[in-house]
Amino acid sequence: MMQQFFELPVFGVFITLIAYFLAVKLRKRWNYLLLNPVLIAIAGIIGFLLIFRIDFETYNVGGEYISFFLGPSVVALGVFFYEKYEEVKQNLKIFILAVVAGGITGVLSVTGFLLLLKAPEVITRSLAAKSVTTPIAIEITRLLNGIPEITAGIVIAVGIFGNAFGPFILKKSGIKSKIAIGTALGTAAHGIGTARAFEEGKIQGVYSGLAMCLNGIITALITPYLLELFFRIF
Amino acid sequence: MLKSLLYIFGFLIAGELVSWLFQLPVAGNILGMLFIFIALKLKLISLKDVKPASDKLIKYLVIFFIPYGVGLMVHFNLIAEFWLPITVAVIFSSILTLYITAIILEKTGK
Repeated sequence: MMQQFFELPVFGVFITLIAYFLAVKLRKRWNYLLLNPVLIAIAGIIGFLLIFRIDFETYNVGGEYISFFLGPSVVALGVFFYEKYEEVKQNLKIFILAVVAGGITGVLSVTGFLLLLKAPEVITRSLAAKSVTTPIAIEITRLLNGIPEITAGIVIAVGIFGNAFGPFILKKSGIKSKIAIGTALGTAAHGIGTARAFEEGKIQGVYSGLAMCLNGIITALITPYLLELFFRIF
Repeated sequence: MLKSLLYIFGFLIAGELVSWLFQLPVAGNILGMLFIFIALKLKLISLKDVKPASDKLIKYLVIFFIPYGVGLMVHFNLIAEFWLPITVAVIFSSILTLYITAIILEKTGK
């Protein structure tokens, strides 16, 4: 009976919107890092579905209307990238080199570690793009035949890690340049890292946003080849 | 707003079309992102033509991937079984990515 009601698309849409709305309110009340609104919204919805014994598939009848907008949002990232790119008039050669190096490091190191630790191949395929912004990471995982839902969860976790510990790790490693700190945060921890970069300063934020977009593009272009090469060698 | 939304979807469908026609190993929306960047750079379109819709999409981007995050619940068992290798690999890989990116810019005096 009730199950039929939950299968209405409006259920999935409504619960997603209200969960996020409440999560944002919570964050405003207590500004604490682990109260990341997306994380809280996801946990809240999962809790609700488990309590009322609603399948993910049932929820996702409506959820798909929401996630549909990931497609146009990725295109919008191109516009965002252009705007940030225009803000920076300096020579970008070394910046691009650093992001390319960081992007390749991200893919190869996570793949290598997972292989060493004997994780199943489907997890490796799902985590290869863990450093880049969620919508792009989801697309990459789909192409690699991984599990996009695992990617989404881990990518958010990576962002929170970078946001919380990124600047500390960089300063402990003797990094002082503002551009270096911003670029590293955007390359390794995408949008959630970029939010932290903006807290560190305007220059850090702009470079982080640029690096996030550029690493998204680079990782999307190279990961299918890197991964196939990797699996062929090992 | 309508015009800018049309541009965004226009570039999206162009990306999907190219990806599908040439069977490329790159998703259509990522090609769409590249195309719109190039079009802006070459001044084929102006920023104000696309900015209204793109700003709104970016603003609410995080909401759009919530359903994927909820999908994690289907894979609880897999995550529970391999949480340790996942955590170790992801943390060390993130630290390495941060460091390699930053050290290149630091050493070149940027």
